[in-house]
Amino acid sequence: MSAVHLQLVDLCVSFNGFRAVNNLNLSVNKGELRCLIGPNGAGKTTALDLICGKTRALSGEIRLGDKNLTTMEDFEIARAGVGRKFQVPSVFRQLSVRENLEVALCRQPGVFANLFRRGRSGDGLEHLAEFVGLADQLDEPAANLSHGQTQWLEIALLLAQDSELILLDEPTAGMTAQETRKTADICNRLKGKHTIIVVEHDMGFVRDIGDVLSVMHQGSLLAEGTADEISANERVREVYLGSMGIHGA
Amino acid sequence: MDFILQQVITGLSIGSILLLVALGLAIIYGSMGVINMAHGEFVMLGAYGAWALNSVFGLDLLSSLVFIFIGVGAFGWATERGVIRFLYARPLDTLLATWGIGVVLQQVIRLTAGGELRYVGMPEIFSGTVSILGVGVSSYRVFVFLFVAALFAATWALMFRTSFGTRLRAVVQDRNTAMCFGVNADKVYSLTFAYGAGLAGLAGALVAPLKSVSPEMGAAYVVDAFFVVVLGGVQSLFGTVASAALLGQMSGSLAYVSNDTIAKALVLLAIIVLIRFRPQGLFVTKVRS
Amino acid sequence: MTRVSLSPSRRSESVLNGRLQIAAYAAVCLLIFLVPLGIDDDFLLNRIARYLVLGMVAMALALSWGYAGILNLGQALSFGLGSYCMAMALKLRTVPVHTGSEGLPDFMVWNNVERLPLAWVPFQSMTFAIIAGILVPVLIAALLGWFMFRGRVTGVFVAIITLAALVVGNLLIIDLQSYTGGFNGITDLAQLELFGFEFDAYSASTYYLVATCLTVSLFACLAVTRSKAGLIFQAIRDDERRVRFFGYDVAAFKILAMSVSAAVAGLAGMLYTVVMEFASPTFLDVPLSLSIVIWCAVGGRQSLVGALIGAILIAGMQGALSESEAFLDSWTLVMGVTFVLVVLFLPNGLAGLVTLIRNRLAQSSRRSEGAALRPALAEVSASKTGDKS
Repeated sequence: MSAVHLQLVDLCVSFNGFRAVNNLNLSVNKGELRCLIGPNGAGKTTALDLICGKTRALSGEIRLGDKNLTTMEDFEIARAGVGRKFQVPSVFRQLSVRENLEVALCRQPGVFANLFRRGRSGDGLEHLAEFVGLADQLDEPAANLSHGQTQWLEIALLLAQDSELILLDEPTAGMTAQETRKTADICNRLKGKHTIIVVEHDMGFVRDIGDVLSVMHQGSLLAEGTADEISANERVREVYLGSMGIHGA
Repeated sequence: MDFILQQVITGLSIGSILLLVALGLAIIYGSMGVINMAHGEFVMLGAYGAWALNSVFGLDLLSSLVFIFIGVGAFGWATERGVIRFLYARPLDTLLATWGIGVVLQQVIRLTAGGELRYVGMPEIFSGTVSILGVGVSSYRVFVFLFVAALFAATWALMFRTSFGTRLRAVVQDRNTAMCFGVNADKVYSLTFAYGAGLAGLAGALVAPLKSVSPEMGAAYVVDAFFVVVLGGVQSLFGTVASAALLGQMSGSLAYVSNDTIAKALVLLAIIVLIRFRPQGLFVTKVRS
Repeated sequence: MTRVSLSPSRRSESVLNGRLQIAAYAAVCLLIFLVPLGIDDDFLLNRIARYLVLGMVAMALALSWGYAGILNLGQALSFGLGSYCMAMALKLRTVPVHTGSEGLPDFMVWNNVERLPLAWVPFQSMTFAIIAGILVPVLIAALLGWFMFRGRVTGVFVAIITLAALVVGNLLIIDLQSYTGGFNGITDLAQLELFGFEFDAYSASTYYLVATCLTVSLFACLAVTRSKAGLIFQAIRDDERRVRFFGYDVAAFKILAMSVSAAVAGLAGMLYTVVMEFASPTFLDVPLSLSIVIWCAVGGRQSLVGALIGAILIAGMQGALSESEAFLDSWTLVMGVTFVLVVLFLPNGLAGLVTLIRNRLAQSSRRSEGAALRPALAEVSASKTGDKS
């Protein structure tokens, strides 16, 4: 067993009295790829929001290695080693692909360090762009990219950011089957070097990449196990009943 | 005791005028998210409307109110159709464009009506004073107070008791969804802007007999009105009333304790601090961000 | 957003664009330095120097507004503070005829001030005054920025707060009459003397002083925009939240943008006092701040040199046409209408128009490239259009 990397302890958050996340306990080992699944409204995205500091926890604790993220500002959490891909692809639309990647290269985030550094470093950016198939669009403004290309750009931004912990919120939304396979491929390659949490609905994709699945329901953890164990789990079946069923997608 | 009562009544009177100016601003900002920097100039247009209708057509202030409401409202409608609707995606540019419109309006008035001060007479029937609990109050101020109260009630009814209000609130919540259900969002927005502008025009006409009328008069009103809106919270009509009342009382008593410049600076500093710490306003509870 | 067609030489093209930018900026500065050779009239030279100073402020605003997305409607506050710092130092240097008893400035005597106020004392040193003329605006901008951006105030609220801060500054300057000269400002100033040079406002030496400061600050700002910090500014303008999730402290970057902008504006303010030979509350009032925004918007908010040229053109035109009071009124009207139209139809101003035309030309030349039977010829024409831009 390798060491625990990310640990959520008794995490709670509420919006106007509605408990979006309720006593969530989750621990992910170093280098592990964990899939987070669950019906709509189970609190998956909110859980990611809590980890990366977009939302503040009401109570509970978030630990990354020996660092306590619970009360850190969002940018401090990013510096501590958390990268995030959003459900709605979020890139700098007015900047070119190259400039997007430059911004994502953020090992020295200080103000003055960046004031005396050139805007174009070029460190392996072409390589990254090539990797996600955007080599020809390097000097194109990101606004001109298609939806799929924007998804790829954001994945490339995460690769450039090179965080210890990577949070992916529905990375394959709007992708073709072929692109989904490529995303799975990237995930598998990152596994081991990075700790990854993926929120996904696509069970085929989840089976391709995930070792362990965590199922969330009404803001807490319902079950944990391999894909086969989860499909066999009675309570998970119950929760999914009436929605699309776990084999749906 | 008389002194305190006098203060309270003065405060109420100032508050009612503040509310009148702020109401239009609050409706436009609260529902469309547009900070209308030309609001003060809409007020100024209303005041000049009262002056012009009186000196050219000999109309009494009370009978010109309808024309002023329609006239300034129509101008607001044209502004929304001609400029603002192109800028909903760029809020900063809306602020700049309305500022530019304000400058243009000031200049047009200066070139046509002249830069000198103008005076508008009080309606004859309200030239006397009435006695409230032994304190003499100008009956015109009482009339303004009652008029504003009625106007507020009408606005509230428009927002929450008519189908137009329902449609407006639907568009404010989610423009696209509202449009999918057949609400003509463009029309709702332009009418809302026109209504807000019309209210500003009325405010200008009503304050005209109390203050002198000049092309620059709008600037002073818009600062105070903006303060009222920020203090009251953007989504809340009653918050606007509460903050107008509070500010009216405050400025009524503040005038006694410090000089005018410092009072102005303090109001501005209060705006700065308020935006920083409670951008949602004092009288609105915090909602999910 | 009409950029089309991807050529394999895009990388070199973007490097070329960068060099072209530097070349264009250098050409503008060179042109500014050449102006006195063709003008014999000191009065006119003084006026042009004045427009250059105003251009500097517009350029400073382009840095914070166009790049970092901070619409600072209080830009005139930094400008005015700089000008007062210089005016205080120059006032203390006036020949004894102009000063009252015991070396007090005349307006203090009229206001029954008996001793030189403590805040004035260090301004007896010109070095202190020059440092203060830059540092005071920077500190105030940084403080205001810290106050706003640590609280994540964004968008229109930044505009409102900076505008309110400007008005507060203006009210205070007018109200503290015995220390600032009130409405009248600070007048009857000595001439600036630096390193043994006298800078007569109506002479080529002052013009060259202004031109040098302008060139230095233009290239300093250019360096900032071309640094990684400049790139991060633009990313912040685009999507501030996303920048935070890369670990950048957005508030710190915004404070930096506002401070650099304030430093340039403060320097410009000092020069303005030298050129105008007085300081007045109108140097930090709302109409001036609005003008700065208009110059910047018309010239192109996302281009430093665009904003500079916009300011020189508009202020110059206003200066040339505003001999009569009646004309000044219609001028304001024309400016207001122009401003609204630019905001509506040309959000990137004249500089945006130039880029648009350049892209159209590049596009049509590429099209002809495809159709041409002799590719060599097309290459020549393509490089020609590149030269023109």
